[in-house]
Amino acid sequence: MTSSAVPVVEGLFEMEAGVPRLNGSRCVGCGAVYFPASSNCRNPECHDPHVAPALIGGRGELYSYTVQNYRPPPLFQMEPWAPYAIGLVDLADGLRVMAMLSVPVEDIHIGMPVRLAVRTLYNTNEGGEVTTHVFVADIGRGAVS
Amino acid sequence: MRPVYLLGVGAHPWGKWPEKTQVALALHAMGAALKDAALDWKDLQGLVAASSRFEGGMGWGLHANEAVQAVAERGIACINVGGACAAGAIAFHTAHMMVASGQYDVMAAMGAERMPKGFIPRPPGSADDISDSDYLRWVTMGATNPAYWAMETRRRMHDFGTSAETLAAASVLMRRNAVHNPNARFRTASTVGEVLASPVVSDPLHLLEICAVSDGAAAVILGTEAQARRAGGPMIQVAASAIATGTFGDPAARIPTVSATPRSGVPHTSEVVSAVRRGWEIAGIGPEDIDLIEIADNTAWHILAWPEFFGFHAPGESDRRLADGEFEIGGSLPINPSGGFLSFGEATTAQALMQVCELGWQLRGQAGGRQVPDARIAISAVLGLGANGGSIVLKR
Repeated sequence: MTSSAVPVVEGLFEMEAGVPRLNGSRCVGCGAVYFPASSNCRNPECHDPHVAPALIGGRGELYSYTVQNYRPPPLFQMEPWAPYAIGLVDLADGLRVMAMLSVPVEDIHIGMPVRLAVRTLYNTNEGGEVTTHVFVADIGRGAVS
Repeated sequence: MRPVYLLGVGAHPWGKWPEKTQVALALHAMGAALKDAALDWKDLQGLVAASSRFEGGMGWGLHANEAVQAVAERGIACINVGGACAAGAIAFHTAHMMVASGQYDVMAAMGAERMPKGFIPRPPGSADDISDSDYLRWVTMGATNPAYWAMETRRRMHDFGTSAETLAAASVLMRRNAVHNPNARFRTASTVGEVLASPVVSDPLHLLEICAVSDGAAAVILGTEAQARRAGGPMIQVAASAIATGTFGDPAARIPTVSATPRSGVPHTSEVVSAVRRGWEIAGIGPEDIDLIEIADNTAWHILAWPEFFGFHAPGESDRRLADGEFEIGGSLPINPSGGFLSFGEATTAQALMQVCELGWQLRGQAGGRQVPDARIAISAVLGLGANGGSIVLKR
């Protein structure tokens, strides 16, 4: 990534020591985590519902995945385009979050440890990179703590 | 509340009908349903339209007012409801409540849709920023609707050892039923080999395991007991009409969201499970009483997973039950004798009303080659984008 890299959606994530964290929110009352940020806590059993911005990290376990073999509608830009994987990842704080997987398809398996990273989706005409959050294999790590 | 009866059902066959307008499709279905009920437009006291975003109604989607203005401007009550693919069930629910309340004696609910080609795109009118999940799912990862179901399918394969052949067999069963349904779009029998040879759209789901998008229309006429007796024929009563929305903690990442907050004990696809169970409670029945079910099989995965979610049998058992023929017409739990969404392709707002049409034909013994023998209690279950669920119970 160059310094001209920008997330495909403004405010998608923050970089902390080279590691991306998603901009979400957390309920102060019950601890429920939301991405994207929710302005309210949706938990009907929460007795003290008020949410605050929260940076969502970082490590998790792959719940499931798919490989998209056909190009999505043009709102999604990726150059060069090639079939790619999307996964659902269980994070330690109870959130299950969806994202692209930057893992070779033959290496993807349910339960694998993964961590958040950033990848380039395409370059702008001005040479800037447009990025998104992805999960990559969390090599050297066993079960999620 | 007073009892409500099914007076008539009608449909325009599913397909691609570029030469027909949405209202024309709706009027065709309404005409068929009114004829079935031996009624005329002048007999209707109200009409509920299941509206969606794709076409019609000056931007509001199918509008009951437009249909009425086209054929019978008599000042009747018109209501338009949303709910995506469950809109038909919500329209039915509304019409049902209007008769049950005692204020209306004859009501109709209709749905008609002409779908755009290909993957269903994002609707207009939302903000292009991080607050909109639908925007996020497209721009950050390009997640198509089948991708969501594909991930559920992959997880099922992991949890229960569901095979590619079992998923294909579920699709084959739908086509086998549709061979006998003149309203279905895909009416050619298929084989497991053909399904597995079709392109993998979102791994592990093949093209023939995902419902297409179609054009079609369906309508239902509801009325009082006196109206039903006048119409003659078997008395088909609405034993329950239930709608529901999602429950916090549902493990499903719902289209078009990009996350979930799973909590133990909360059912998957909770909006549909809640509607089904509410329907059973209202009707005073349980799974053992049901002679057939019409479910929204957006994919082959739904044929396996949903009966388990509803509580017909334990999680993971559907594979064996499918192999044993239990889900076939004549089996212990016939699923989608109509051929289901896999054989119709989805005409979103019309779909739940087509389910009711099928329940009606089955309970009256008018389903021809796809007739479930001696069907007396039949239910539907439908899911709509945005956590809408609906379930209707009819009994003879």
